[in-house]
Amino acid sequence: MIADGNPEAAVSLRQVAVRRERFTLGPLNIEVPRGLVTAVVGPNGSGKSTLFRLLLKMEPYDDGGEVEVLGHPVKPGADESFKTGIGYLAELPHAYEDSLTAEEKARFASMWYPGWDWDRYRKLIRSFDAESPDKLKKMSKGMRRKVELACALAHNPELLLLDEPSSGLDPFAWKTMLGELQRYMEQGDRTMIIASHITEEVRRLADCILFVHRGKALGFYEKDQLFDSWRALAVASPEPGRIAELAKSPGLQGVAESAPGIYQLETDLAEEAEAYCRERGFQVMGSRRMELEDILSCLIRKEDARR
Amino acid sequence: MWIPIQIDENRPEPLYHQIESQLRGLILGGQLTEGTLLPSIREFAASLKCSVITVRRVYQDLESEGLLRTRQGTGTFVAGVDAAAREGHRLDRVVEAFEKAVETGLQLGCTREEMEKILRDVVARQTEGREGETR
Repeated sequence: MIADGNPEAAVSLRQVAVRRERFTLGPLNIEVPRGLVTAVVGPNGSGKSTLFRLLLKMEPYDDGGEVEVLGHPVKPGADESFKTGIGYLAELPHAYEDSLTAEEKARFASMWYPGWDWDRYRKLIRSFDAESPDKLKKMSKGMRRKVELACALAHNPELLLLDEPSSGLDPFAWKTMLGELQRYMEQGDRTMIIASHITEEVRRLADCILFVHRGKALGFYEKDQLFDSWRALAVASPEPGRIAELAKSPGLQGVAESAPGIYQLETDLAEEAEAYCRERGFQVMGSRRMELEDILSCLIRKEDARR
Repeated sequence: MWIPIQIDENRPEPLYHQIESQLRGLILGGQLTEGTLLPSIREFAASLKCSVITVRRVYQDLESEGLLRTRQGTGTFVAGVDAAAREGHRLDRVVEAFEKAVETGLQLGCTREEMEKILRDVVARQTEGREGETR
């Protein structure tokens, strides 16, 4: 997973730990590939927002760690111009922007980004149907979110960091957002990291998935490989009491008797597990892909057992 | 352009394999004709809810088989297919469909005789129906 100074990586973290009074993130060793969409998936409070802030140099980290974003080291005293190549949508709106209008917010943002494109901004606002003269605090949650999204995209950043972008959006705005994000990625050389709780969003957008829980990275996967290999099998046993044997299946993540003589087996090595069951005279009645949440629960269960 | 590819979540084959064999089928079956511009990798991935890594792999594989060609800057197109390849493919698809049926039969404990009888009955019934339709 880790290579020194990998030019294919938009973000790389080596032994990075952020320590706060009641929360520790890391130590993390992660490489986020360029040109792809990586979804960061984890329960509330798992450290997703801290991770984003870390990449923006807003979270000091322990000595000995190394953070690199778009090929630039992120550390005290280092040049910060790389930030102009980043688009960031925070999880919550900034209170200090409450009394600004959308246009004022955009004007403020435009001063920081040399790549700011008013034409692009206006097109996005129109596409999101978010034209409004109101102050941000007077807007609905969804409307304000749309303005913020337009601002994060208006300078066509090299790296886009979206912290739960769809919160507050109605289903129509959500679809428009997916379309705009796809169009952004269409350029080929852009990188997006998106924190999301929404399975459908991950299914439609992501290429890679990073699971996090309590500040720890539980795994970095290519999305399709993940869904290909993680499966729930329904297995029937010709005679009772053979659950212990099933518990030794390759890639076992969990096994339970769901009806007399019928077992549900969760595995991250679907093919091998199926062959194992057949060889031992079990009947494989069905095999289905697991949902994102189920995979996450398995990974959390495993991590908790290790602690 | 929308390409009719159906992913079956419950088949054991990996996603890239399902997409690749169906796309190959559409080209060899003549539904996608020579010169057709395929969707961009990102667009196709979004519509299939898979990753661009998978679509890139499918495009590369089919390109090396000579079924697709990529023109820098314009996109990926369907290449010409010769008649022999098309005919071979027609049978491949039928064999594949029978394989799936036999797999189901074995899973449900059918004997060889039962399956052969079912096949004969199905063929008889369906061809009878077809002749009725065309008449």
